[in-house]
Amino acid sequence: MQFRLEKRREPSKAMLYATPVVAVLLTMVVGAIIFSLIGFDGIGAVREIFFTPLTNAYKWQDLGVKAAPLIIIGVGLSIAYRANVWNIGAEGQYVMGGLAATWIALLTYGMSGWWILPLMVVAGIAGGALYASIPALLRTRLNVNEILTSLMLTYVSVQLIYYLVRAPWKDPMGMGFPQTRRFSADALLPNIFPGTIVHAGVPIAIVVALVAWFVMSRSVFGYQMKVVGAAPHAARYGGFSENKTIWLALLVSGALAGLAGALEVSGPFQRMVPGFPTNYGFTAIIVAFLGRLNPLGVIFGGIVIAITFVGGEVAQTSIGLSNAATGVFQAMMLFFLLAGDILVRYRIRRVVPQTAEARS
Amino acid sequence: MTLNRRTMLKAGAAAAAAIPLFGSKAFAQEEPLKVGFVLIGTVNDNGWNFGHSEGAKYMKAELGDAVAEPTIVENVPEGPDCERVLRELAQSGHKLIFATSFGYGDYVIKVAQQFPDVRFEHATGYQRSENVGTYNARFYEGRAVCGTVAGHLSQTGKAGYIGSFPIPEVVMGVNAFVLAARKVNPDFTITPVYISTWNDPAREADAARAMIDQGIDIVAQHTDGPAALQVVEERGAVGGFGQGADMSAFAPNAQLTSIIDNWGPHYVLAAQAVIDGTWESKDVWPGLKEGEVEIGPYGPKVPEDVIAAAEAVKNGQIDGSMHIFTGPINDHTGTERVAAGVTLTDAELLSMDWYVEGVIPPA
Repeated sequence: MQFRLEKRREPSKAMLYATPVVAVLLTMVVGAIIFSLIGFDGIGAVREIFFTPLTNAYKWQDLGVKAAPLIIIGVGLSIAYRANVWNIGAEGQYVMGGLAATWIALLTYGMSGWWILPLMVVAGIAGGALYASIPALLRTRLNVNEILTSLMLTYVSVQLIYYLVRAPWKDPMGMGFPQTRRFSADALLPNIFPGTIVHAGVPIAIVVALVAWFVMSRSVFGYQMKVVGAAPHAARYGGFSENKTIWLALLVSGALAGLAGALEVSGPFQRMVPGFPTNYGFTAIIVAFLGRLNPLGVIFGGIVIAITFVGGEVAQTSIGLSNAATGVFQAMMLFFLLAGDILVRYRIRRVVPQTAEARS
Repeated sequence: MTLNRRTMLKAGAAAAAAIPLFGSKAFAQEEPLKVGFVLIGTVNDNGWNFGHSEGAKYMKAELGDAVAEPTIVENVPEGPDCERVLRELAQSGHKLIFATSFGYGDYVIKVAQQFPDVRFEHATGYQRSENVGTYNARFYEGRAVCGTVAGHLSQTGKAGYIGSFPIPEVVMGVNAFVLAARKVNPDFTITPVYISTWNDPAREADAARAMIDQGIDIVAQHTDGPAALQVVEERGAVGGFGQGADMSAFAPNAQLTSIIDNWGPHYVLAAQAVIDGTWESKDVWPGLKEGEVEIGPYGPKVPEDVIAAAEAVKNGQIDGSMHIFTGPINDHTGTERVAAGVTLTDAELLSMDWYVEGVIPPA
């Protein structure tokens, strides 16, 4: 017996939006079963990972702080992916944004002024966008696949951090530890509620998602992105330049990744350290898909992934579940999401072996 | 564990009232002490993190019902993520928390300010406060023993040293190793390579391969796992040394000996002090003499006379007749840094940022 995937003419809108929710639910159910089968408290694991973080005000702060960069980067990626431009190197653009902001912070070290932080943010955005322009240039001029170039440039950016924090930017007071100075007060991202750890990056993430949603659904730019992605031939016929779209997609996603980098380095990190690349750029890919490549959905995706991170630590401290379990849960979620997507867009048809006559 | 969950639920309910309250002191007296451990890698790395988890087990075994089953959180990166884990432990009723990697320092201090009734101890750190102490072990004493073995056995007279970051802790290990080796072979050199992480088996192995390709036949390390030793075993180079734990299971021939971290006794003392209410912030730095650093069994490639020489160095450090950082010591450019008969102080060791003669510094 053979099966074949057949494209559905009109994928159900409701199903399209239900898949992420179903994927999360399936992850919980299957996760609980698998962990029970291998001798852990499976239900306890699911409870600690997915629900405990929601029951505690301190954890909400953690969720916000962890979700903010994922949402900002995820929004940018969702725009690029809509246009069928596969920027896989958001991690590198995030790093370059962080480095550009660090550069400003070190240049202005010891100075004060309201303009320092905004300048760092602008530098971060520019750094991310500039770094994303390399794959854009290679793709539009030489037709080099942007997946490879953007991914490989990530590793270059990480080496650049290592170099900078070891030599030119090394903290003179750091006991030889490779890290920059701690930024001066005016280069630090303020907390929006005193006494919490919720920094200004959290509301910025929400604003970014709302603006992106408005632009994608109400502007010519958004329309162009979607048309070029969905129907390149029609787009060309309609006068939309494919190269221009590639440039825009990479610049926007790079700029947002750079923004996230600037906010992270001036907020939670407060200095540049070798541990600055924490895979936000890669995790944001899951976030973008979990959010249906819709900027509002990305908020949901970012929060769900943040829950698994924070909950993973809760599960480690409370029921001794290994750290690797968090990875298993995240991976299962992406798997169910992608599998669900296939079933929404295609139906499974049994292939009946046909005879030669029947074919002619 | 139920207690913990109850605490969390209590916290959830209190969250509605805006200020979460955690385990009141009156109850904490009757409950066993909850001790948390924050690790940079996994307990099955068979090295640094394994050493700490063994220490945690030892503490539980020694103190019995006075302490709860220790909580170990693995794979915690040196960055804002560790801040969250530290807070999570403090919120869930842990009154003594060991942060076991250098890069946690800033965050330990920060979280400790928010939880004045929780005691924190930061391994290999240098920042202390009212409720933050630091503890470390004199690994350099063990490195002097390893260096002695290397000086005798190396055929090329060249060792490599896989380090994480060029912090004083690591630099002093490189220096102690080569000082000891040069007492045996005055032409001995060592090449440190920094891989910017404490635990990445692939990078540790790559570094070991590159070293062996360059004629290095002894690979020492200050990173957490046995990956480099496995490469040495496979390539048939002279050998290497277990770091943090006996790694002979991974490299039965290549492991010449090992430095075993024995954190257990310190964990017992610290936990007992918290239970008795006598804990105070201080810096402790025991070594071979106190048994916090141990030298593991010698491998099959180490002949009797070399074992005797190594044991002499070990015993000299235990009875205090010898200190590896006693002058004359030149730096790597040949300038004298420590005069004959003078020994570097602990403060000088803990801020060491220069290499001794025989080190080929990384560019």
